[in-house]
Amino acid sequence: MRLPRARGPRALVEAMAWALFSAGGFAAAILLPIHVAILGIAYAAGWLPDDALSYARIHHLVSNPLARLYLTALISLPLYHWAHRFRFAIHHQFGIGLKRMVAVGCYGSALVGTGLAVWIIFFRL
Amino acid sequence: MTPDDAEGRSYPLYFPKYPRSWWLRKGPYRRFAAREITSMFSAAASVTLLAFLFALSRGPQAYDAFLRLLDSPWMVAASAVTLVAVLYHTATWFRLTTHIVVIRVGGRTLPPGLLIVALSVAWLGASAAVAYFHGWF
Repeated sequence: MRLPRARGPRALVEAMAWALFSAGGFAAAILLPIHVAILGIAYAAGWLPDDALSYARIHHLVSNPLARLYLTALISLPLYHWAHRFRFAIHHQFGIGLKRMVAVGCYGSALVGTGLAVWIIFFRL
Repeated sequence: MTPDDAEGRSYPLYFPKYPRSWWLRKGPYRRFAAREITSMFSAAASVTLLAFLFALSRGPQAYDAFLRLLDSPWMVAASAVTLVAVLYHTATWFRLTTHIVVIRVGGRTLPPGLLIVALSVAWLGASAAVAYFHGWF
């Protein structure tokens, strides 16, 4: 027997949260390792060219609108992935209830992070 | 909450009580919890990238200070830990994807290993492109 499809605003919000979680999971899985390796390890180890991270060069790279869109997605999507997973980790691993507060805290933090990213990348750089 | 049987007798439902450390008891549970915790490291990497761009936006002095921070040994150690966590996320995410994405050709399903190979190729290609633009372009 096929169950009726969930409808209503709550189902819509949950579907959006899950879609962002999934997109964030892919962004984090495919793109984050190389970024962490470059900024976190390769720079300090001296594996990058001398002027790779110079102010002028990076500023020029980041002034490209496509680069800005890429960076906004790269920074904000994993936050939604974290929000979704951490929310359920709080309930299932840490045994804490307070469902509405936890959900608002987690997804709200991701929204704040997205806002910060858009502000810094598009209005401050 | 108590269901009634055919004669109208009702029975209480049994809800077993789990200790909060249930996920520490067995290997598979611990690995599952580790997978979920890697999301915190992904978020930390995102925040670090944002801090990098914020330092860039504040001018050459602030940016150089951030680069000196990247050079410090504790930052490298933290990045190494984050890298391991993020790679664990990648591996478990690819495996998870093979459970969700089932590709059928004709009457048969493609083996999940094929999907992992395709995702890994995409991952390597994207990493190479990012590294090129980040360091050598």
